[in-house]
Amino acid sequence: MSPISEPINQLPKPSILEKLIQRHSKLAITLLAIFIVVFVYGMVTAPNFLTLFNFKTIIRDAALVGIMAIGLTFVTLSGNFFLLSMKETAALCIIAFATGMASGWGFELSFLFTMVFALIAGISQGALIGIGGNPIVVTLGAAGVLYGLGAYWSDNLVVSYRRPHGAEWLGTGSFLGLPNITVAFILIAISAELLLRKTSFGRQVYLIGANRAAGRATGHENFWMAIKVCTIASVCSAFVAIAFSAQVSSAQVNYFSSEFGSSGDMTIMVIATVMVGGNSIMGGFGSTLRSSLGAVFISTVDNMMVLHGFNSGPRVFAVGLMIVFSIIVFAILRRGSRSEE
Amino acid sequence: MEEQLLSLSKITRSFGAIHALKEVSFGVMPGEVMGLVGENGAGKSSLVKIIGGFDSGYTGQLTFANKQVRFSGPVMAERAGIAIAQQELSLIPTMSVAENVLLVGDNVPKIATKRQLIKLVEPFLSEVGLDYIDPATSVERLSVGERHLVEVARLIAHDPQLLILDEPTAALGETDSIRILEMVERLVKRGKSVIYVSHRLDEIFKICDRITILRDGRSVAVKNTKGLSVSELVNSMLGRELENMFPKRISTSSKTPLLKVRDLWPDGLLDPVDLDIFPGEILGLAGQLGSGTGEILSAIAGAHPIRGGSLEMDGNVFMPKTPNEAIKAKIAYCSEDRKHDGLFLGRPIIENLTSTALKRIGNFGILQPSAENGLANDIAKGFTIDNSRLPSEAGVLSGGNQQKVALGKWLAISPKVILVNEPTRGVDVGARAEIYQTLHKLAKKGTAIVIASTDLQEIANLPTRIIAFYRGLKVSELGYREVSAENILTQITDPFGAAKLER
Repeated sequence: MSPISEPINQLPKPSILEKLIQRHSKLAITLLAIFIVVFVYGMVTAPNFLTLFNFKTIIRDAALVGIMAIGLTFVTLSGNFFLLSMKETAALCIIAFATGMASGWGFELSFLFTMVFALIAGISQGALIGIGGNPIVVTLGAAGVLYGLGAYWSDNLVVSYRRPHGAEWLGTGSFLGLPNITVAFILIAISAELLLRKTSFGRQVYLIGANRAAGRATGHENFWMAIKVCTIASVCSAFVAIAFSAQVSSAQVNYFSSEFGSSGDMTIMVIATVMVGGNSIMGGFGSTLRSSLGAVFISTVDNMMVLHGFNSGPRVFAVGLMIVFSIIVFAILRRGSRSEE
Repeated sequence: MEEQLLSLSKITRSFGAIHALKEVSFGVMPGEVMGLVGENGAGKSSLVKIIGGFDSGYTGQLTFANKQVRFSGPVMAERAGIAIAQQELSLIPTMSVAENVLLVGDNVPKIATKRQLIKLVEPFLSEVGLDYIDPATSVERLSVGERHLVEVARLIAHDPQLLILDEPTAALGETDSIRILEMVERLVKRGKSVIYVSHRLDEIFKICDRITILRDGRSVAVKNTKGLSVSELVNSMLGRELENMFPKRISTSSKTPLLKVRDLWPDGLLDPVDLDIFPGEILGLAGQLGSGTGEILSAIAGAHPIRGGSLEMDGNVFMPKTPNEAIKAKIAYCSEDRKHDGLFLGRPIIENLTSTALKRIGNFGILQPSAENGLANDIAKGFTIDNSRLPSEAGVLSGGNQQKVALGKWLAISPKVILVNEPTRGVDVGARAEIYQTLHKLAKKGTAIVIASTDLQEIANLPTRIIAFYRGLKVSELGYREVSAENILTQITDPFGAAKLER
């Protein structure tokens, strides 16, 4: 046999894009890149986009959804998917808080009163999920129960209380020029990230999320984990409910269903935020920082569309598009980085 | 000289700076069984992927049936007459055997009754030695070994010229493995060629005509099986002399048991079991799949439902209900399936190694990075895991290194008892020897080690004493003096001479 052709021994060199994809922090880079593109586009085309005032608006709008998303991120990271009862927990809690305030209990007592409901909601849902209940089914049921309780309690009416009241500092106060709710968002984001990275609890969240069976085998039961993360998510919901009520000095059970955010539904917005941040739906991968950035990102896009004069239809459409887009982008990128073994 | 059916020359495959294959040459004659051996990471899977059309990004020449080819996808390879049985099965559990065998393919009728299908698959099933099962049975009711055979039957239905079996017996017990080997022999008699990839050297010697040895992405040698010795083969696989795969047997142990297992009755066993486990010994539980040895280990570790029983250690009588309770009693347990519950594949290796002892690396719930690094480095050293790889994901490691991490993580709790089911399944020879050495070292330090294994070589050479199980029954206990592979094989396959009785 004669050598007809020499074997080609030249190997393709990795392109710049491939090198970039091989970098460890590529997911964060991508999120940042998209953010920059949107930011630049908004800056160029939208009136008043690039003002300090508007920037503050974006962060403030991101705060409420962001805080709830941070709470939900714990659930998702631990491999327990989502709570579909985020807005219903907030609905019951906002009624509880406003009732307390209207009864003249003062901020502190009303706060504690509200948190009791959040703890009961979180622990009971967590326990049901922990013994093996499907998170979607359990929290769908819980959503009905919680909302129904809130509606029954308030008779579907607005519960209002008069200014001045003890919660104004949280609702409308500010610190160093930033609204207090923004400050709370930043503080919660930082402490959640520290909790995840630096504590045994945070490590357990990641381990159980990455492989529940291995978690059990190494002594980390999902039962207790489910209770803890559901409680965190519920407490975050309750906190958002309190802050929102403090802003408007009232409460109604449907505040988080229609009069809220660009999509009108708080639960969907919160789940969208966790997804857009690029957290793994299956758990074990992601961070609360991603969710916080996701909240700011969605808020930025929403803000830009408002400045362009879009009404709620196209804005809901945009949020949906962002979820689909982020799932695709992150799925592709992660396939490149993970071993196939 | 006869024409080769398949020939590869100067195949090179690179991923960035990493060379998975370097100028590999490989060939198979018609009607030949070619063994493909090498340590994990030697390039066996990469080579198989190229032949099967899963990977076309290589340089070099691939000739099949006298035609120079480059498969752009697995379907192309299949059309050309190459079939691959992967380690992971691709059967649909809820469908019947017949439906699974005829799931895809050109010769499958578009519309057929159940009876027609059954008639069609019968020849393929008898080909793989499954003529005794009803083709209408759903696949989920078959044993793992039988499922592997169904998978092969499906491949044979396409009438391939070349069949590639990638670790077909890795998850199988002795009798199922023998079936696979018999099937290979039948196929070869009909003129088919087979590439047989395996870590089990005894099988390789039993059925292969020739053996190709891969090392570090190169094909280092092609040898005729006749006249080849095991140590010769192992040496060329490793590229170094492997003095002793098994460390010198521990023959003495303490007289007082460390852990007394009393009336333990795990689900799946016929009778309750009593065991005395001594410090400093390696106890081997011998048995095939379904013999109950694995259930005993997981039951002791609180990971398997039981009907009753108790443990006694240091004067305390208890029975762990969860793995967590067993861990608190310093009992470590490694299951046979590291990917299922032994490893956090997506998390860094360092987190895997310290996952069992978060309390030890934390201070009031705050993780101490220096303590974690120290602990992980100590374990890595003890188990010869590369220190520099600690931050990378456990999923990128080869099977051998993954097993080292799965075992190594238990050192973090300073265990008194280590229970290991299949300590070296799917693990290459080099990592195997290292795992044996480490277990040996731990036993020497006074740890009680119990292994359950279906690997005869391992169970015959590593333990201090052996307890044999047969279909959920404890049949005998053998001291190391009475141990031989033949002896054990009789105990675990036909302890009561039942083969004679049934007639």
